[in-house]
Amino acid sequence: MKKYIGIAVLVAFGVLLPYGLGSYAIHVANVAIIFAILAIGLFLTMGIAGQINLAQIAFFGTGAYASAILTTQTGLGFWPAAVCAVLAAILIGLIIGIPALRMQSHYLGIVTLGLAVAFTNLVSNSSFTGQAQGINNIPGPTLPGIDLSSEYNYYYLEAVALAIGIMLAAFVVHTPLGRRLRAMRDDDLAASAMGAEVPVLRMAAFAVGGLYGGVAGVLYAGLIHFVAPESFSLANMFFLLAMVVIGGRHNLWGALVGAVALTLMREALVNFATYAQLAYGSLVVFMVLFAPTGLAGIPSRLRSLLLTRGSAGPDSTRVAAYIPAPSLGRGLHAPAPSAPNVVEVDGLTKNFKGLRALNGINLVARKGEILGIVGPNGSGKTTLFNVLSGLYTPTEGAVRILGDSAARVAPYRLSLRGVARTFQNLRLFTRLTVRENVMVALDRTLTRWSWRYFLWPLGVWRQDRGMRVAADALLERYGLSDLADTFPTELSYGAQRRVEIARAVATNPEVLLLDEPAAGLNGEEVNQLRLIVKDIRASGVTVLIIEHNMGLVMSLCDRVVVLANGAVIADGLPAEVASQPDVIEAYLGDSSLLDLPTTETAGTP
Amino acid sequence: MQIFLQTLIGGIGFGAIYALVALGFTLVYRTMGLVNFAHGDIAMVGAYIATTFYISTKLPFAVAMASAIICTAVVGLVIERVLRPLENKDFDLMLIGTIGFGIVLEALAALIWGATGSAVPSPVGTQPIHILGIYIPKYDLVIIAVAAVATVVLWLFLDRTKRGIAMQAVAMDHEEATAIGVHVGNSNAIAFAIGAGLAALAGGLAGPVLYVSPTLTASLGIKGFAAAILGGFGNIKGAIVGGLAFGILDAFAAGQFQGYSELVTFVAFAAVVIVRPTGIFGESTVNRA
Repeated sequence: MKKYIGIAVLVAFGVLLPYGLGSYAIHVANVAIIFAILAIGLFLTMGIAGQINLAQIAFFGTGAYASAILTTQTGLGFWPAAVCAVLAAILIGLIIGIPALRMQSHYLGIVTLGLAVAFTNLVSNSSFTGQAQGINNIPGPTLPGIDLSSEYNYYYLEAVALAIGIMLAAFVVHTPLGRRLRAMRDDDLAASAMGAEVPVLRMAAFAVGGLYGGVAGVLYAGLIHFVAPESFSLANMFFLLAMVVIGGRHNLWGALVGAVALTLMREALVNFATYAQLAYGSLVVFMVLFAPTGLAGIPSRLRSLLLTRGSAGPDSTRVAAYIPAPSLGRGLHAPAPSAPNVVEVDGLTKNFKGLRALNGINLVARKGEILGIVGPNGSGKTTLFNVLSGLYTPTEGAVRILGDSAARVAPYRLSLRGVARTFQNLRLFTRLTVRENVMVALDRTLTRWSWRYFLWPLGVWRQDRGMRVAADALLERYGLSDLADTFPTELSYGAQRRVEIARAVATNPEVLLLDEPAAGLNGEEVNQLRLIVKDIRASGVTVLIIEHNMGLVMSLCDRVVVLANGAVIADGLPAEVASQPDVIEAYLGDSSLLDLPTTETAGTP
Repeated sequence: MQIFLQTLIGGIGFGAIYALVALGFTLVYRTMGLVNFAHGDIAMVGAYIATTFYISTKLPFAVAMASAIICTAVVGLVIERVLRPLENKDFDLMLIGTIGFGIVLEALAALIWGATGSAVPSPVGTQPIHILGIYIPKYDLVIIAVAAVATVVLWLFLDRTKRGIAMQAVAMDHEEATAIGVHVGNSNAIAFAIGAGLAALAGGLAGPVLYVSPTLTASLGIKGFAAAILGGFGNIKGAIVGGLAFGILDAFAAGQFQGYSELVTFVAFAAVVIVRPTGIFGESTVNRA
């Protein structure tokens, strides 16, 4: 309710604002709105999708120049030219985004910055774009019955564009596409293992940046009636970056506040431009050091500060007990020998430069089997999982999962085929809530599906609501309901491990790869884990589990494969394997087998 | 052929300057894992300081350069000190922090020296050396010689002194380095100071060939950074080869495409790193799950 009142106040303010402004002030407001639209674009590409894009200003320039050229030189009307200009900006966004497929972070920053320089170089030299003088007398938009040459009326046109821009951005951020983008930002490896097509998402991020840049550019050309290279310089790119960073790069409202505040500051200091630059540069450094989440993040930081000062809030690290699925008996045992092979690995070899991490691995896992994979550190267990989940391509050998080859298949495709995994070092999406972590995994659609954002948003909304219900049901079963709205970093280690398993199960897998799921768990948590894994298997899922807790392996697994130095040295029933002398030597040491806990006491300290 | 060689010589001269900028980037990256986006601005400030000492106070060129190096090393220490709380924590934030410092340095330079630039006379005269039908400006030889000496000194420092080896240890694993008694903060501070000094050296050397103005930031900083990536980030050999390659690419682009040289250079650079993101000498890293 409070939220709606806030929005209503904001809308009323926006509608009434021009009545209180003079002719110069309304111009400033119009410029501020254009920067706000531009800032939303950078917020989505950088803050949401994590792509360091320092060429947003070139998308802006493309929109402005394209609309200027089309209206002044081809005689196209403002509106058709605007559509073409926005499409051109999206295209430039996609082109400048190509390097993101191959590099990230700082590297991407410098390449996009270089391409922004290339853009200014192009427009200041081409006679097509009027060289340094730019293009004059650009016609403004017309609408029947409204005189848009008045800046007061133009304000409302821009305000409508901004409102649509805000709604679209907010909608994207909180629905499947935005959630996947944020997941990719937090951990692209884990995101791809959960079914997110990272390359497509990166390109989508740049396309969205182009969309907002293009709209801002078109509005700019229509407002000023003049474009010149210096409006799209690096100085303005950094100014734009400062807006988003000072306002808060992970928060839509922050980016908007930053854009408006910095535009106003620059206007107030228009006669002291250098001092203004000094001020916002220092402010960027200050924010990075003391308020990395920007102005928008300050309230929540203060709140958490107060919470830790005062009485401790609700204990957010408590995990409730797992609720076993009612219809499936947990007495289900190993599958019959006739069960079909779900995972088949044949002569698998993986080299890293000179190092041979896997050396001719052969193994199979049948449908519904729990296969333990043990071996000393460095024996290649996690490398095997990385190959099975598509993160590594094998050097030699064949891998078939559910009958089809899985070598050289992208992780997201394997995820959609039914391969899910957890990670040894916990790779949860740290800035997504527990519920959102699960919802990312529940999303089984291809990113292509995103066309619905434009043509059938209701469908997106329905899908999202369905995923929320499914996520809550899953979290309930995994005893995580109370933690649904917390962030993984606030959770205990055991709770994070539980969330990882819930997230993997959310992908509705046929094959589940668990990489040391019991590491760091206490005895009761290990018992819960055993219950969970048995339940997962009872639903027909094949489970491969890397584990050092031999008590758990002995009591849980139907069969155990032992790796040493990248090769299989044993494969059989747990008890058989554990008594093999070479296994004992390679893994267990000489006499430790004598102390192995039996099934009854396993896992309880 | 003559034009080709002439362009090549010019490219190598600029390339040596880019190589020095790239070396500074590389050194900071290698020890701290941080790409310093203020590096180009430091080079610009260094160029202004060197010019001020050289022209206004009439100091000898070498002395002016040395003073500029010391001044910018101090600037580097200040930046490192301010951003130290973020080190090894959040790389995106550090990146943005260095961009913030870049904005500040640019504003300060404009306040001190104004927005207009100044031309710097060559310290070794303008009479070129004439060999085999091509003209080699004497000053180009100075640039190449200084860059070569700086590279050798840097390499000796990193590979032959205790302090240099300690810095490399920090680069490999800062926690492990702390465990064996290396002061990571000091090591990073020294890297940053030397990096800034190298930037000033490059900026000061560029003065007589490029016109000292605020645009040096873009022409030296971004190109130097691009050169470092082109060579393969984080290794000295890569910085040198990348710098020279970029200088030559730039010189031929300027000859062929005149005003469009920056467009061609950066598009070519983007294309090269798309094909080979790790640069010429870079090593590919493996994603660890």
